[in-house]
Amino acid sequence: MRALLVAAALLAAGCTNNPYPDDDARQKVLYAAFSEPPKTLDPQVSYTTVDHAVTGPVYDKLFEYHYLARPYRLIPGLAVEIPEPQAEAGGRVRYRFRLRAGVYFHEDPCFALSEAGRTTREVTSADIAFALARIADPDVNSPVVESFGRVVGFGEFGQRLAERRKTDADFAAKRIDRQYAELGGIAGVRLPASHELEIELTEPYPQILYWFAMEFTAPVPWEAVAFYDGRDGRDLFAEHPVGTGPFRLVRYDKRSRIVLERNRHWYGVEHPEWRAPAAVYPSEGEPDDGARGFLDPAYAGKALPFLDRVELRLDKEDIPAFTKFLQGYYDASGIIEESFDRVVKEGRLSPDMEALGMRLDRAVVPSIYYLGFNMTDGVVGTPAGEKGRKLRQAMSLAIDSREFTRIFQNGRGVPAQSPVAPGLFGYDEGYVNPFRKVDLERAAGLLREAGYPGGVDPATGRALRLTFDTGDTSARGRLRYQFFVDAWRRLGIDVEIAATTYNQFQDKVRKGAYQLFMWGWVADYPDPENFLFLLWSPMARSAGGPNTANFADPTYDRIFVAMRDRPNDAERLRLIRELVAIVERERPWIELFYPESYTLTHGWVRNAKPLGMSFSTLKYRDLDPAEREHLRREWNRPVMWPAWVLAVAAVVVVAPGVATVLRARR
Amino acid sequence: MLAYLVRRALFGAGTVLGVLLFLFVLFFLVTAPEDIARKSIGEKAPPEAIAQWLANHGYDKPLFWNAERPADTLLAEHFRRMLTFDFGVSDADGVPITRRLGEGVGPSLSLTVPLFLLGVPIGIGLALVAAFFRDSYIDRMGVVLCVLAMSVSLLLYIIGGQYLIGKLLRWFPISGFDPRPSVILRFLALPLIVGLLAGVGEHVRFYRTVFLEETGRDHVRTARAKGAGEGRVMTFHVLRNALIPILTQVVLEIPFLFTGSLLLESFFGIPGLGSITVDAIQGNDFATLRTMVYIGALLFILGQVLTDVSYTLVDPRVRLG
Repeated sequence: MRALLVAAALLAAGCTNNPYPDDDARQKVLYAAFSEPPKTLDPQVSYTTVDHAVTGPVYDKLFEYHYLARPYRLIPGLAVEIPEPQAEAGGRVRYRFRLRAGVYFHEDPCFALSEAGRTTREVTSADIAFALARIADPDVNSPVVESFGRVVGFGEFGQRLAERRKTDADFAAKRIDRQYAELGGIAGVRLPASHELEIELTEPYPQILYWFAMEFTAPVPWEAVAFYDGRDGRDLFAEHPVGTGPFRLVRYDKRSRIVLERNRHWYGVEHPEWRAPAAVYPSEGEPDDGARGFLDPAYAGKALPFLDRVELRLDKEDIPAFTKFLQGYYDASGIIEESFDRVVKEGRLSPDMEALGMRLDRAVVPSIYYLGFNMTDGVVGTPAGEKGRKLRQAMSLAIDSREFTRIFQNGRGVPAQSPVAPGLFGYDEGYVNPFRKVDLERAAGLLREAGYPGGVDPATGRALRLTFDTGDTSARGRLRYQFFVDAWRRLGIDVEIAATTYNQFQDKVRKGAYQLFMWGWVADYPDPENFLFLLWSPMARSAGGPNTANFADPTYDRIFVAMRDRPNDAERLRLIRELVAIVERERPWIELFYPESYTLTHGWVRNAKPLGMSFSTLKYRDLDPAEREHLRREWNRPVMWPAWVLAVAAVVVVAPGVATVLRARR
Repeated sequence: MLAYLVRRALFGAGTVLGVLLFLFVLFFLVTAPEDIARKSIGEKAPPEAIAQWLANHGYDKPLFWNAERPADTLLAEHFRRMLTFDFGVSDADGVPITRRLGEGVGPSLSLTVPLFLLGVPIGIGLALVAAFFRDSYIDRMGVVLCVLAMSVSLLLYIIGGQYLIGKLLRWFPISGFDPRPSVILRFLALPLIVGLLAGVGEHVRFYRTVFLEETGRDHVRTARAKGAGEGRVMTFHVLRNALIPILTQVVLEIPFLFTGSLLLESFFGIPGLGSITVDAIQGNDFATLRTMVYIGALLFILGQVLTDVSYTLVDPRVRLG
């Protein structure tokens, strides 16, 4: 009996749902979940949010976004300042980037390639040029090659590289940095000094600066690319990043656990006297940031980063991940659909969650969902002239974005009025699109004027028949599209859903064989150009671009180019308003909503303002481990009585049977 | 015995070639490599990037026939790679598949081996108890419980286990994996309990039937007549002779310990070979998927040979030839 009691006590003591070693409790370790393994950590290739969760803190960029200010604003990162464009002959533009001296790469054995025994080296402008050459390199498969097409000689460098590799096996076998050097690099990328870089563009393109706030252009040591080739037991570069960031990757089991550790040699840590803008916590932000606790005087102006370690754990299933968050084992979480009503009440945190000390932060993501018309279509598009325009306007007046967002997004979205999303220059909070409210009476009038009275097509004498094309065959997708079909039915228009596989849908889009569709766009960078170019005719889908509506309007095109090439000034604002007015009138899109991200954090987490974009903000975060440990213990006491009840029940049920049988056998 | 093994190996080789051909049809003819490329480098990728990816991953070769270099086709490449165990790199992230398999074996075995080592003796033990108490209410209740346990889907065990033991009772982490010795047991406890509960019904029912059949035989009756105790009868006379049908089931399971459990690993976040397979299915990583299917087929063939050989070890009457 005593042995049984000891075993029971041991069992009870061994029972814990804490997924972390006990020693971690006292350290400043931030725990977060990721739902799928990163695809690649190669900064010139990585393009997904989960990739950026790792590459973001590891690779410093030339520029970063101000953590608190909105509209989004660039601040210098590795660069000393944000350069101004210099006009050159022939309409060309030149940028000169000045880099900070004294910034070093993470310590890594790969640097022995350049000098025996070396474990790190200083970052120079050649490392940025190397990163740009990698984007151009066809073997790297960077998804953003086209975005750098305006850099003089960019495409040509890639072509020369591919041709030379094909025809000259000796060249192809050479070390990667030597291949780039032998071809003389990209013509429009020059290195006037060890910490200066010049980029020459064929035409003005102010948005190029945003690309230098992304990992694609982060400095990369050639040694890391050459060394980590996946041979002889060495890692692949795509799994072994070597950057300069505030955190370094120390463990990469991408299918279970990723660990980032504070970089003790980060320039912000080694040189607090520089007061580099990207290395200290900001002391200014949005008007309500003070009230939301993001401008705590204890942090303002303090050197970053605050965390010792970041542990990312793979949790593919939403429910277990969210449960661990509720148990206090993850510090932050999104909100899963199954628990939405429990967590959020009328757009605010529910009292239950508030009692646990949690906080809810909302951020509108610079992205948009919209319904589009194929403008090359004979019925709904430009060929139908005024008739088509009025039909589009009428159809726009039937769609209730707020209701759609409420039903299908748990209300997580702001009804969209124009292509320009909130948080961007040119977004006008007071603007109300007259065609983006439900007004069935006006819609019916417009339909009449379009020649479809009551939605009836006079050619057939029956309801006008249109097709809604989609590449989503799921039941859930069908429900969403049915919402639109029902709305248009109220106008008397009969819209049929043509759901095919994604590939068949893509094929239809390529051939222009579609009428209505739903699409979404997530901005690469927070500039109105990145949204308004979706309606610029050279970007037409039929030509492989992202203008899915195939919208082509010469006035729009002309104003767009003028707007694109301007800095953020009053004139640019005026041009944006003109573009929005054209979209309002022509209705190639029915704007639906700008999605909102909801982030839940525990009370012990500090400075967790959501950025809304796929950029890492880990270096700004802090937490109180003692408070966390106390609450975790309180929330996770194991309930042991069912085990004892089960054991007693088993004995009570089985013992008489055993006794009877044994007696009978004897 | 040797002749049998040679014959079996030749038969196995034929099956392997058939499997490889089937895999080729499935993975190269039915699916378009462009889909895999798009999944890998993103929907926004321009057509040139897709073409480059296809070239980098060797998907741009002709399928069956190359007049200039007959060996340079997708079919020849597929057979060469699989037969030489040079599986190439993953379509999803470019990591060598052999390395990925190496990383996955440990976590898989850390779950499947304890599950096997605990599951078999517990199953046999409970079945022996049921046989011992045959026709009593313990036996009947056991059979009912076994049938109930077998009727419930593994998925329900997993979700129920996570909810009850992980969330409500808070005994163990609800999911996850960490190979460090200080915490690994915490993570394995719940999948082990769930795996054992889900498998025990089927095992006990099968073993019990085997044991009951055995208890009715002449040699058992003789042993009893000679005055052997019931415990001795069950262990020496029943268990030993029931080993052949048990072995058939048990030995066949051994090779599959390496491939892991698809559902358990996937739902509990154990980064073993089972979840590698599930990830490959979800991520259109066809290079990894065809390797896993191929390895599964090889292990199945191996399991069958092992079962046959094991007969000769437990039953001297069996001769393979």
